[in-house]
Amino acid sequence: MLSYAIRRMLILIPMLIVISFFIYSGLELMPGDAVSYMIDPEAAAEISPEKLDALRDSLGLNDPFVLRYVKWFGGVLKGNFGYSLSSGVPIRDIVFDRLPATLELSFIALILSTIFGSVLGFISAIRKGSIADNTLTIVGMLGVSVPQFVFGLVAILIFSLKLKWLPVGGRLMPEYVTYWDRFPHIIMPALVLAATMTAGVMRYSRSSMLDSMNKEYIKTARSKGLPEWRVNLVHGFRVALTPVIVLVGFRLPTLIGGAVVIEQIFQWPGIGNEFITAVRGQNFPLVMMIALFSVFAVLIASFLVDLFTAILDPRVKLG
Amino acid sequence: MSLINNAFPQYVNNNYFIGEKMEKLRVFFISCLLVTMAFSLWAGGQQEDKMESGTKIEGLNSNPLSDFRVRQAIAYAVDMDTIVETLLEGKALVADSMVPNGPWKTPGLNAYSYDPEMAKKLLKEADWDSNYTLDVVFYYGDQLTVDIMTAVQAYLSAVGLKMDFRKLEGDLGEQLWTNPSDPVNGPSYIKWDMAYAGSAALAMHEYYGKLPTNGSGNSHTPSDPEIDRLVAATKATANIADQQSAFFELQKYVNKNLPLIPLYYQQLFIYESTRVNRNGGAYGNAQYKYDWNILNWSVTPDASGKEVLYTNTAPVEFFQHPWFNPGIFMYSKVLFDSLLVADEALVAKEGQLASKFSVANDSMSISFTMNDAKWHDGSALTAGDVKWSVEYALQVPAIHSVFATTFKSLEGAQAFIDGSADGISGLVIEGNTITFNFAKLDPNMMLTFSQFPPLPKKYFETADPLQFQQNSFWQNPVGSGPYKVQEVQMNDYTVMVPFESYYGGTANIDEIVMYPSGENDGNVIKNASAGKLDYGFTKSVADVKSLEAMGNMRVTPVDIPYTRLFYVNKFPKP
Repeated sequence: MLSYAIRRMLILIPMLIVISFFIYSGLELMPGDAVSYMIDPEAAAEISPEKLDALRDSLGLNDPFVLRYVKWFGGVLKGNFGYSLSSGVPIRDIVFDRLPATLELSFIALILSTIFGSVLGFISAIRKGSIADNTLTIVGMLGVSVPQFVFGLVAILIFSLKLKWLPVGGRLMPEYVTYWDRFPHIIMPALVLAATMTAGVMRYSRSSMLDSMNKEYIKTARSKGLPEWRVNLVHGFRVALTPVIVLVGFRLPTLIGGAVVIEQIFQWPGIGNEFITAVRGQNFPLVMMIALFSVFAVLIASFLVDLFTAILDPRVKLG
Repeated sequence: MSLINNAFPQYVNNNYFIGEKMEKLRVFFISCLLVTMAFSLWAGGQQEDKMESGTKIEGLNSNPLSDFRVRQAIAYAVDMDTIVETLLEGKALVADSMVPNGPWKTPGLNAYSYDPEMAKKLLKEADWDSNYTLDVVFYYGDQLTVDIMTAVQAYLSAVGLKMDFRKLEGDLGEQLWTNPSDPVNGPSYIKWDMAYAGSAALAMHEYYGKLPTNGSGNSHTPSDPEIDRLVAATKATANIADQQSAFFELQKYVNKNLPLIPLYYQQLFIYESTRVNRNGGAYGNAQYKYDWNILNWSVTPDASGKEVLYTNTAPVEFFQHPWFNPGIFMYSKVLFDSLLVADEALVAKEGQLASKFSVANDSMSISFTMNDAKWHDGSALTAGDVKWSVEYALQVPAIHSVFATTFKSLEGAQAFIDGSADGISGLVIEGNTITFNFAKLDPNMMLTFSQFPPLPKKYFETADPLQFQQNSFWQNPVGSGPYKVQEVQMNDYTVMVPFESYYGGTANIDEIVMYPSGENDGNVIKNASAGKLDYGFTKSVADVKSLEAMGNMRVTPVDIPYTRLFYVNKFPKP
């Protein structure tokens, strides 16, 4: 297991280099550059090409593509992630400023959706064909098919504007001191995000549980006279969780960029919004850093999924 | 023969008339040609007489849009009244000039009211090739623009003009405004036929700045001596009446020839919650700074008795510097003062940072005596800060074109820009007085001095002007206005509180809390509905409808100089 883990971690390094190069190349293919985004189109008419060129020079945008990549990657190796081309703020500060907001939102949504999705899927499976199963199936389908922004806007309309129970958006306010002051702000975005994620987990959990309940080891457990709850929970549900874990594992990377819609609707100052702004503005040091985080998260998630699958399912051997 | 040679030099080289033997036939041909020529001249005269508008067709080239009749046809073909009433929900005004309605607009302009038959007639006269497809570009990302383009496409199609439209991406400045190397004959550097754009002018001169020969951003209009003369005339005087007269002439010429096609005037809508009271403060162009009585505004106090004003446009990554957009953001308006203050029509009315000022009779010099203003860090705001600000502004990449024009008109400005002088010789400091001496007249200098805010020199002394906006100063700026920054949570909120040492007294509202929601984003309506937006402005007609329907908000429309138009490429295309 340890050698497997070390091997997987070592493979990450060349993968990160190759993927980062591809992302950098992709940015290069986009029309324009950071300067063309910074300058308003009307203002651009008044600025001499020489001045624009000097600005590009000062930001290092006139260097050849490969040289820029090497410079950037060299900086990353030294722990220097660069500066935002638009604001001049160190990338590290921006990422560490925005990332906690997104992780806070996404982790809560992930935990809620995993717990509720698994449990509801389990109930739906063991009550197959019942009213509860049919209701949950319909709710699950709705959850999967209705876009997040619809959920979000309806929630704002009901809970913020009509009932006035929760704030309409944002994360912090000047007068807040403790976490509990700002806790009301996260309830709605986290629940809306969790609701859409729960539906997927529930569908996976249900079908996996149904599949598991027809297996020989379940029949064996029953033949040993074990109580039904134990058969379902310990022998059925545990194995049925394997595909759910895979699903949840692969959702880990989306913790960084997967809540963009929710962030926009609820004015949540997360990294997702920052990423979109950075891509539009071709703020490549920031794009690269957020992208690297995402890539790293995908690779780590993939590794963790393998690890947990082996732990949960005795038939799986790591090698 | 010499007459023919002179009149038709193109015929000389191909030996068209060099017959070998038949002199009589030659004379016959010449006679025929002369008759034909005479008939053509007569017919041409008749044609001109028949034209209801426009002048003789000059500057025709291989680009069909170089024919003013085609441009007129486009103007006649599009029913702007209907577009304004439907797509713009009546929240705009149809334009017949670049200049908005008011004292600067000349009466009697052709409105080019919807007349598809006239459009067809003009296209026929211009011998329009119906297989040609106009390439129309725009750079806005909103749905309204696409809807307008679709409507224009349909209108043009109805008169036999094909049109495609596309959104420009990438380096917009290059694609829109690169001048051709030959400003007379082209070919154009740009690829498009028409560009849908907006012109938000601080000074009337900005509307026509792209038309003269070698004008900055003139990617589209071949050199026209008459335009050059008329534009120059608008800048030749500081006398308002003379300027207006010059603008009238310019508008008439542009209205006839349509080197660009004005479409509609956009309005600005100021919204305020019923909690806010301006206490007599004026309503004006909220995109710029003017005397709006902010010191005396009041807001219904909250439970603790505190007056808190909620607004938007808080910084997301950084405070945008005020040398390009001096007043579009709330923070720019209240953080930074200028030498003069303007009234709601943006006419400079009195000193702000200057306790007094005097303008020379010939308008070639202006002196300001500084008051005892302080920066928000408590240090004194000096004439040296003003001088440094002007010089530094000329080195930063993007400042407002009106400011740039004023500063470049100063004595010694060019030498400073070239690097042959350490400072601008036309800026002279004596004690707490600074004098601006001009090498050439700038009719908009008062506008500049009422909008351009000086900045504190000490924070930028070692900073690269090219990376002015990237300076850490813009994470938490130190200003000179009635409010100072108290707290910045970038992308969350910004709090501003009254500056206790403000020379004009202490502002009444205890706190201004700003959210990062922008002028046209969907959060405006949500925040206003939730009672978390007390002041803002928008140009989004959809938002205006929603805001007007809210019981807790009032909306005030303001006519602003903001014209939407088609720039028309009249150069031969490469």
